[in-house]
Amino acid sequence: MIIERSFNWREDFIERFNNDGPWDSWTLYKMSYDIEKMNLIPEFSGLQAPKFLTNLTILPHQIEAAQTVIEKMNGKAILADEVGLGKTIEAGLIMKEYMIRGLVKKALILVPASLQNQWVTELNMRFFIPAIAYRKNTPIEQYDVVVMSMDTAKKNPHREKIYEQDYDMIIIDEAHKLKNHKTQIYEFVQSLKKKFCLLLTATPIQNDVFEIFYLVSLLKPGHLGNYESFQESFAATKRSIEGEKYLKELVNQVMVRNRRQDTGIEWTNRKVQTIPIQFTKEEREIYDMLCDLKEVSSVFSSSFTMVTLLKEMCSSKEATFLTLNKMLQKCITKEEIDYIELIIDKLMKLEINAKAEKALEIIEKANDKVIIFTEYRATQAYLQWYLYTKGITSVLFNGKFSKSKRDWMKQLFKEQAQVLIATESGGEGINLQFCHHVINYDLPWNPMKLEQRIGRVHRLGQEEDVHIYNLAIENTIEQKILDLLNEKIDVFEKVVGDLDDILTNRAQA
Amino acid sequence: MYATQIHDYLRTFFNETNCQIVADEGHQLTVQLTIDMDKKIMSRPFYWQYIEATNSEPNPAQLTLITDRTKIQNQFIGEVIHFGSGRLSQIFKATKELGSFVQMYEQVEPREGVQSTLTPYFCVNYKVSYYCDRTKEKIYSLGVNLMNGDIEDHFHESICQLKLADKKPEQAFCIPYIIKPNRALERLDLMIQNIINQDDHSWAEEANKRLEKEVEILNYFYEDNEDRPESYEIEMRGLQERFNPKIKVEIINGGLFYLQ
Repeated sequence: MIIERSFNWREDFIERFNNDGPWDSWTLYKMSYDIEKMNLIPEFSGLQAPKFLTNLTILPHQIEAAQTVIEKMNGKAILADEVGLGKTIEAGLIMKEYMIRGLVKKALILVPASLQNQWVTELNMRFFIPAIAYRKNTPIEQYDVVVMSMDTAKKNPHREKIYEQDYDMIIIDEAHKLKNHKTQIYEFVQSLKKKFCLLLTATPIQNDVFEIFYLVSLLKPGHLGNYESFQESFAATKRSIEGEKYLKELVNQVMVRNRRQDTGIEWTNRKVQTIPIQFTKEEREIYDMLCDLKEVSSVFSSSFTMVTLLKEMCSSKEATFLTLNKMLQKCITKEEIDYIELIIDKLMKLEINAKAEKALEIIEKANDKVIIFTEYRATQAYLQWYLYTKGITSVLFNGKFSKSKRDWMKQLFKEQAQVLIATESGGEGINLQFCHHVINYDLPWNPMKLEQRIGRVHRLGQEEDVHIYNLAIENTIEQKILDLLNEKIDVFEKVVGDLDDILTNRAQA
Repeated sequence: MYATQIHDYLRTFFNETNCQIVADEGHQLTVQLTIDMDKKIMSRPFYWQYIEATNSEPNPAQLTLITDRTKIQNQFIGEVIHFGSGRLSQIFKATKELGSFVQMYEQVEPREGVQSTLTPYFCVNYKVSYYCDRTKEKIYSLGVNLMNGDIEDHFHESICQLKLADKKPEQAFCIPYIIKPNRALERLDLMIQNIINQDDHSWAEEANKRLEKEVEILNYFYEDNEDRPESYEIEMRGLQERFNPKIKVEIINGGLFYLQ
């Protein structure tokens, strides 16, 4: 076995000996020995990091997660705790442990741009890890711990600069962004040397079971077999309970997933209701006319456009109008144009938005802070106006806001406004434990997005029960979305494990 | 390390390094750094480069370190220091640098008509680290008698019981060494090698087994590829770096000791 020795001390000693000095202080000599003894790592197992992290309360499930990753998974894992259980703390703890043990010196942390500063602050303040945020022209070779946005990292010249470094550890936050193996970021991470590697995501499967396959194959190629054999094992989950158990076990060898209920912490309840809504007669008429569009004009032959329009109609006339007006520019025949103008005319005359009325009713009944999530900016603006006319104050929120604007909006919501209206992109990286009501005004296609939204509120520090209201208009595309969401939740539970309630409380179902 | 331990540590450290302690309130310490100490623990190389390049008046920092934050109202008067903080690890590093080599004499009580003789010893404190994807460290303090070549372990602990100073006591006579210290160093290096060879290395076997298993999985993933792509090589390199067992021998410090 290779034995490495350092020679500096030997040479220096001989020099001092030959010159009879200068000799150092006996007190400092003894202090130096004592420090080494105190910081000694006496065992291969166990964690050294917690005793250094005096600024941090580490929860038992976080310690256990770190230990499992280091001792059972040998330093490569997916951290898939449910939202709000502190995956960042677990990752920081693992990194700190490896740094103390001298196994990691250089580390690269890839995150969505919106979380970059938060990571840098956490690592510096809580873990005393001197991390820096990478900006263009940062001399990357001069820093050991670099936090970089994924979008920057995958592009040249940054990409090449990263490949030139020799990182001991790679951490990727919101790793579900790597679910598609055909993307540039996936290919970039695949070609990166991953000595120690952590992938953080609360949602290892969002839409499709192959997402977990590609995620694991990035971390540990071959663990789930190759594409064909994985396809076979997944098919087996449908045939037998054993097949399901086998695949789940295999996944859990590389994945730590704490659920709220296993944390030993008293969690408040999650009360989920799906609230069916009836369109008004006028709204229904327009919805049906929109459905017929594909027969009237070839401009609407794409099912994507149709789905968008129908979803928007379930949201607000404002959202519908924007898309419809854009499509109008592409129409040529008089027949097409007349038909669309007729719809627009009817849209303009609409006075009641059944869903907005329902939302108002919920807000009034709650008589408390409420977050509304919508997928459309136009709806967001409309809702703010609508609530204003009913005497309810609100603030807007979206993911494109700068850090300071986010903090300002959060503050305004906490202290002044009753309602926060957020678009989809506002779902990540903001914590609002002081609020206990979430209205999902529109439903996304992906159950994990719902989970992320709920996680803004239902997380560590929440002291009251959390009420979730999923609004869906009957006999529309939203009904289909609900069915699809249920199917996807089912796949997730087969391969990964149980989920907390997202759509309706299981007890009632 | 408790707050009071850190406080005592800092007080001793700054006293020993000739940094003047301006104020000491038991939970908070204000110290005027010397130029050397500023360079060692303040990590501001550009400042010192500038001062030296322009021949300006140097202005080493005055630090206020708060060792017990529960006892103060205003946190902004100084820097909170605690176990794990960056500043403290810089101070630990400086301690190591400034406490590397000593020459010490046992202080014997003078007795009328009798001349005490002191025997020369050479001591090295080693830190041995075992690395794979995990680590374990051990300290060995080996001392060799420079007259007869006998080696003892736990040398540091035993001499800490003695009264030592860096000046030879007046009536004492130091026997000149027979084994030269650089030869002694070679002997100790050989000794540490033997100790390591005789240690239990099942940890390395287990690491190799883990590596084999991971390589097997990796090969399975790429078994259909005739030419293995670059990503295979990268992955393989990562695996080897992670699991390959290694041993590192470092010297903490050491020195010459004249003992009765």
